[in-house]
Amino acid sequence: MVEILFELPMNLLGLGISAFIGRFAYSGYSTVASPNLLRLTFAFASISLGFALIAGGLFAGSYSQVLTTAGLAAQALGYFFIAFSHSLKSFDLAPPKYFLLLPLAVTGFVIPGNSIEHLVRSISFILLVYVSIETMASYMQSRKSSTLMIGSGLGMLAGAELMSWYEFIYPYSFYIAALLIKVAGFGLIFIPFSKFGLASGLGRMNSQVGSGL
Amino acid sequence: MAAGYRTHVSIIADILSTARQYSYEGYESGATVTHLIRKANVPHQRLSSMVSTLTQSGLLYEDSAKYKISEKGIEFLKAYSEFKGFAETFGLRV
Repeated sequence: MVEILFELPMNLLGLGISAFIGRFAYSGYSTVASPNLLRLTFAFASISLGFALIAGGLFAGSYSQVLTTAGLAAQALGYFFIAFSHSLKSFDLAPPKYFLLLPLAVTGFVIPGNSIEHLVRSISFILLVYVSIETMASYMQSRKSSTLMIGSGLGMLAGAELMSWYEFIYPYSFYIAALLIKVAGFGLIFIPFSKFGLASGLGRMNSQVGSGL
Repeated sequence: MAAGYRTHVSIIADILSTARQYSYEGYESGATVTHLIRKANVPHQRLSSMVSTLTQSGLLYEDSAKYKISEKGIEFLKAYSEFKGFAETFGLRV
């Protein structure tokens, strides 16, 4: 019961933030028809679906584990879409794209046991570390504080996934801390977004000036 | 942001901002194809198809073989600037 009282608001908060960012990215896609904004839409829609499934899992009784794992898989898919957008960028000193696949190939050897949930968490961790590093690399070029916040937020999400993954070894030792860090990470991502989304972008939601491009 | 490849959307924004410049800043007659090629830095064949699409979408309009930006085009440029900032916070290009 205590878990539900704590976890439910945290997951609903994460759901709200990610759904809001996804909706804004979609309004951007429908306005300027940018493929990267479409990928961000898919990413945040998937992440918010993940939060919804995890929140639903709190009330699902015997299906709780299934829903939680499905939610984590949806979030990992969301992180993949962000990572994929970054992998399409062309930095001057960019590593070959197959470098992204290397840690994924190693994953099967480094995770303990046969837990699907922890396999998904390890994939999420790798994707988030990659995205966080790429975003920080962008910050080094642009020196925008908002990019630094997003990079830090993604880094916090990676830290949260790692702590959750450690539950496999030390059950329930880091669970609450990991959830708090995860929501704080989304909070950091939301701060720079609010500058765009709340100020004017949401007013353009129905604007389709670039449709047909 | 590294000066690498330009996306399709960013080239469209370059074409529109060139047309805006020649429509309002003392060049009220509009931008010629040469102006667009020079400022947007795209080959003639590609520019022709893009300008045709932009005209059909109502973002540009032709006036005596010169191109001017429409109100819809100005609105697009404002939205582009806003969403460009949004994508750049994620370290991405629009």
